[in-house]
Amino acid sequence: MSSEEKRDEIAAVVEPVFRGGPLWKRPAGKVLIIWVPMTIIGLLLAFFAPGHLFPENMSAEQEDVKTTFILFTALAAPVAAVVWGIALYSIVGWRKKSGKSDTPPEDGPPIRGGTIATTIWLGTSVILVVVLLVWGMAELSSELAPQQNAMQVNVTGQQWQWTFSYPGTGVTSTQLIVPEGRQIHFHVTSEDVTHGFWPVQLGVQIDANPNVTTLISATPNKLGTFDVRCSQICGLNHAYMETTGTTVTQAQFNAWLVSHGASATSVHSYAMSAK
Amino acid sequence: MTMTAPLAEDTKLGPKAGGLYRHQNFATGLIVGILSAVIGWVISHALLQSSNWGSDMVVTVTLVSWVVGFNIGIGSFNAIFRWSLGHDEDHEDQLYGAGVGQGWKRYFKFCTDHKVVGTQYLVLVMVLFGVGGTLAMMIRTQLLTPNSQFMSPETYNSIVSIHGMIMIIATIIMVSGPFANFIMPIMIGAKDMAFPRLNALSFWLVVSAVPPILGSFLLGGVPAGWTTYAPLAVQAPPAMDAFAITICTFVLSVTVAGINTLVTVLTMRTKGMTPGRLPIFVWGSIIAGGLGLYAMPAFLMAQSAMITDRVVGTSFYVAMQGGTGWLYENTFWIMGHPEVYVILIPPVGALIEIASTFSRKPVFAYKVMVSGVIGIATLAIMVWAHHMFTTGWAPTLADPFMLTTELISIPTGIVFLCMVGTIWRGSIWTRLPMYFLYLFLFNFIVGGITGIYLSDVPVDQYFHGNMFVTAHFHYTLLGGGMIGAAGAVSYWYPKMTGRMLNERIGKTAFWIIAAGIQITYLGQFWEGFQGMPRRVANYAQIFQHANDMSSVGAYILMTGWIVFLYAIISSWRHGVKAPANPWHAKSLEWQTSSPPPLENFLVDPVVTSDPYGYGEDDLAPQRQPQPVSAEAGSTTGGAH
Repeated sequence: MSSEEKRDEIAAVVEPVFRGGPLWKRPAGKVLIIWVPMTIIGLLLAFFAPGHLFPENMSAEQEDVKTTFILFTALAAPVAAVVWGIALYSIVGWRKKSGKSDTPPEDGPPIRGGTIATTIWLGTSVILVVVLLVWGMAELSSELAPQQNAMQVNVTGQQWQWTFSYPGTGVTSTQLIVPEGRQIHFHVTSEDVTHGFWPVQLGVQIDANPNVTTLISATPNKLGTFDVRCSQICGLNHAYMETTGTTVTQAQFNAWLVSHGASATSVHSYAMSAK
Repeated sequence: MTMTAPLAEDTKLGPKAGGLYRHQNFATGLIVGILSAVIGWVISHALLQSSNWGSDMVVTVTLVSWVVGFNIGIGSFNAIFRWSLGHDEDHEDQLYGAGVGQGWKRYFKFCTDHKVVGTQYLVLVMVLFGVGGTLAMMIRTQLLTPNSQFMSPETYNSIVSIHGMIMIIATIIMVSGPFANFIMPIMIGAKDMAFPRLNALSFWLVVSAVPPILGSFLLGGVPAGWTTYAPLAVQAPPAMDAFAITICTFVLSVTVAGINTLVTVLTMRTKGMTPGRLPIFVWGSIIAGGLGLYAMPAFLMAQSAMITDRVVGTSFYVAMQGGTGWLYENTFWIMGHPEVYVILIPPVGALIEIASTFSRKPVFAYKVMVSGVIGIATLAIMVWAHHMFTTGWAPTLADPFMLTTELISIPTGIVFLCMVGTIWRGSIWTRLPMYFLYLFLFNFIVGGITGIYLSDVPVDQYFHGNMFVTAHFHYTLLGGGMIGAAGAVSYWYPKMTGRMLNERIGKTAFWIIAAGIQITYLGQFWEGFQGMPRRVANYAQIFQHANDMSSVGAYILMTGWIVFLYAIISSWRHGVKAPANPWHAKSLEWQTSSPPPLENFLVDPVVTSDPYGYGEDDLAPQRQPQPVSAEAGSTTGGAH
């Protein structure tokens, strides 16, 4: 390509975007007029919709899920609005022939590329990806960091129910009872096929595999009941493999253990256990 | 072929041309296949009934006998038998094999003409979508109410699995079957695919793979989802053997087709068709074909080991004997993630052809676009473990896989750049194919952004195994892929059938489909936010509104597809005759008649530019398209 052609080509892209008359009369300006309200609607949705869509937060992890969802939606809104804005404007502003015409319109301008547009596009997506990645890594490492007051709960999946046991106390239950405000380390395994341990409102999940123990932690921070479901198809009654979980205060938790046959000393050493 | 050669399809063949092929068709395939299956069943049953191998071995032997018998019966291996007997096929035999003088009957035969194979694929894809869609309607009907009694959980689980796998098979071949076979060789100016017999083989292998997976309903059902994770699937009824045999047969088909596509583009391009002048769709076809060659063997391994675990008692996946389900999950997703791009890249290529033709503008940033698609394919092989973030398999790899997954949004962004760059300031001509491009731009943004949430490990820990994921991949595979395929059908329909698609009916279908997709899958996103797991036969009361929305949307969506199918079938029979180049497009497939004659061009075309020179007649004369054969093919009648 000669340098002259190259210049022509750049001009063909750049001129209507950056030069030539007032902004609102150029295609870029008209797309901008669509882009701004679309982005605003997207941002409003990002900040207000998730609150109505997600179930109530009952753990620090679930709060992270919601925050991240809001952030990612807010970052995505302007990007989606660029694509949708151009698409929408092209139908309104650049349609030369209706769909009923059998002959095509005159050819459009022979724009074969645009270094500036491509660079801006790629640069923006690289920056966005870096933001997403750094955010995700930071969030993940903070969730994985073990805390002083952590305690362990063993979870066993079998077709088609969950069993929870509290090490050292001898207590097992088909309901999950956890104390508020402590990081719970769930040690998860299965007696038969793969299940998915998912305490929904705690915002975490991990598969239960036979012969293996997998780990996940969550910090319940709100009193009340939550759902425990199976998130991995596990045969006939997969749909019914659910139970309720309850977050209670530490004192209630200790009392519950004792009422289920744990000795006071074992409850004391379990409740004081720190990892 | 020289200028003076007679048209091959006008040749009068001798009474013995084709040899055994003369007596073979779909019916003989069925007969030999069923006979072979019966023999396989009798022998394995007699030998094994007193052993502890049991019914799994019998089912496996019977169904493998069916696949082999069907392909022998229809003639897939005739040429190999001939060569092994010391004979060769002469020119007349080859013309017979390409369907000369057989009229509509060639569509039911082992036909080596790439256009016949493409049409066969198109019909097969529509049949598979019909089956998968019917199963989807049953799923959505079950989910209309909590505690629904429409189906037992057992039936429901099997239907969910088979819906998934049938749809995956159908979407893998929906563009690379019909269009990479029918259109792509013409686009590069070739007379046929490089390996015409392998081409026919790839089609009939898929056909022979369909009865086993449908037969799984009679063999106890597959209760494990389309992913058939190992501990559960190893214990499943003999239906799982049928499922695995379908997969193995299908993998052979995709592998054969992928090699064929690659070799065709590498060796069969006409004079002047340099890599830089290849249409984007051709690039898409070879990149998807190559990616399939990487991905599909992993599926073959995963399911072969599944068969041996079940049939002869190996323990690849049996935890109690030292195996692990994680081995299956890894091999499955090493196939499974590249595979979604095997599905998506060809429709994206087709949509970019559409964008250029109906904006009357060159493709924007051609080289960047091709690099982007190569980038997608490269990254696609490094992201599989994002399906395993919540398995516990490798917690330390969460960050690297989050990185590769999020990186893939950069080349995917290039696809959008290329599309919106091409329509930017174009002369937009809103014919039906262009509608599908716009719908793709809407749906694929939704599918793409929801994929970014799922790439974030903490967020995935909420959404994994949840209806949000289901909605996400339906937005990409149906809202992106199938919509791209619908665009490709409406774009190349005149070339394939010789008739124009009825756009009035097509646009009615379009609006119903567009609305149906949003209602169905926004409903499923809502289910996912609320915390409804995937693949459940029943659900709690709180999910009812979201499920009702999704089910109503699904009925609307199915209605839309039926209307679209009606447009395709009725136009095929009664449509207006299509001219050679109804869109006034510049790529080679439009420079020959609709449909093209056998071997596609009367004169070998010579290419002097890429096919996107819209508006460049004055600007850059060296870029003007000058295919020597322009309009040359249009004087001959169609093959139909």
